[in-house]
Amino acid sequence: MKYTVGVADMKVGRFGDILVTHALGSCLGLAVYDPVAKVGGLLHAMLPLSKINKEKAEANPFMFVDTGVPELFQEVYSLGGQKMRLEVKAAGCGEPLGNNQMFKIGERNLTILKKLLWKNNVLLNSKDVGGAASRTVYFYLDTGRLVIRSNGAERDL
Amino acid sequence: MKDVAKSQIIAGTKAIPALPRAATKLFEMLQNPDADMAEIEGILRFEPGLTANILKLTNSAYFGLPNKVGSIRQALVLLGRERLVELTMVTCAGALMWKSVPGYNLSPGELWRHSIAVSLAAEGLVKVLNLPEDKRVFTAALLHDIGKLVMGDWIKGDIEKIDELTAQGTSFEVAERLVLGTDHAEIGAEILKSWAFPQELVMAVRWHHQPERADEPSTMVDIVHVANVLCLMIGIGIGIEGLRYELSSSATEKLGLKPADIEQVASSTLQWVDELGNIFV
Repeated sequence: MKYTVGVADMKVGRFGDILVTHALGSCLGLAVYDPVAKVGGLLHAMLPLSKINKEKAEANPFMFVDTGVPELFQEVYSLGGQKMRLEVKAAGCGEPLGNNQMFKIGERNLTILKKLLWKNNVLLNSKDVGGAASRTVYFYLDTGRLVIRSNGAERDL
Repeated sequence: MKDVAKSQIIAGTKAIPALPRAATKLFEMLQNPDADMAEIEGILRFEPGLTANILKLTNSAYFGLPNKVGSIRQALVLLGRERLVELTMVTCAGALMWKSVPGYNLSPGELWRHSIAVSLAAEGLVKVLNLPEDKRVFTAALLHDIGKLVMGDWIKGDIEKIDELTAQGTSFEVAERLVLGTDHAEIGAEILKSWAFPQELVMAVRWHHQPERADEPSTMVDIVHVANVLCLMIGIGIGIEGLRYELSSSATEKLGLKPADIEQVASSTLQWVDELGNIFV
């Protein structure tokens, strides 16, 4: 099955499923995969910290990195994924031009992710982040292959 | 060559249908505090399609009204006339913008969703910054990208040249101008001018990517500018250009924006758009 992950959304799946998320600007796309159990999940989180809007975080934890990432891992565990085996990849976290300090949402999303992973002893295997291009992520759960389409070109991550 | 393109592109704006007379009349009323309910009802009486869509929007989850509203008069009482004019604009803009925009790689409905998102984010920014209310900001934001409807066909043919420039760090609207002699903001302003919109709205559309270049400093331009970048960042209506627009520091400074304000508005915008923007799907 092919599942589309919207903005502030998360989907998990098993062998044979494809998870897709479009229009990653400053948002974080985080993919987690267990190559043995062949299960994985994809998160599309918008903002770094849930304290900005606790009510929203309660209703939809996937809007924020600090509440969405733990949920993503939990869901993958519940499908049989094991922490020691997980491959973790990040995409997105872009910025508009002009280096405006007010609008470092992408950079802050990545910082919060790194802190969370570090605290929990999880390694970030690879990332395709920053810049001003929009990204679409295709995540194939038969092999864990992750393809990024950006600017009309495709690359594996 | 560029000048030829520009004059042809401007000529292309004539193919954009005019807004219904009712919409422009109602918009004019925003500036006239004496206009009464009967006048507004009178304008909409002969516009059944428009009226039906306005009522649909009134009954959307966005407003959360406890009972279903069945008449313009009721909508006026519950929402106020400014809101009603906004909803009229939303309906009319939807009729124009609910389509795919080739060139910018926007699929059907995306330009529309983006436009509503920027309107709602703009209103959100005005509120969070405690700025004096100017209901026209909503309409300026709603129409800021209307020039893309005309520019899209031209972009398509020259996207490689534009991409070459943006790859070197040139912002997208500057690259449009370098290659085609004009950009979607200028073309949008031409369209608003032809609809006889007030100068301040024309300027807000014209300079939504370069607010510091507006003839006069204008909060409306700054707000539309920031709201637009914000909605692109959160992926609403992000097209071929991605985030390749420059964020104006003078605009964010003038507005006195803080990161928390921006994130607060961002966190609400998505829900607002889903509640209001899905009515026509």
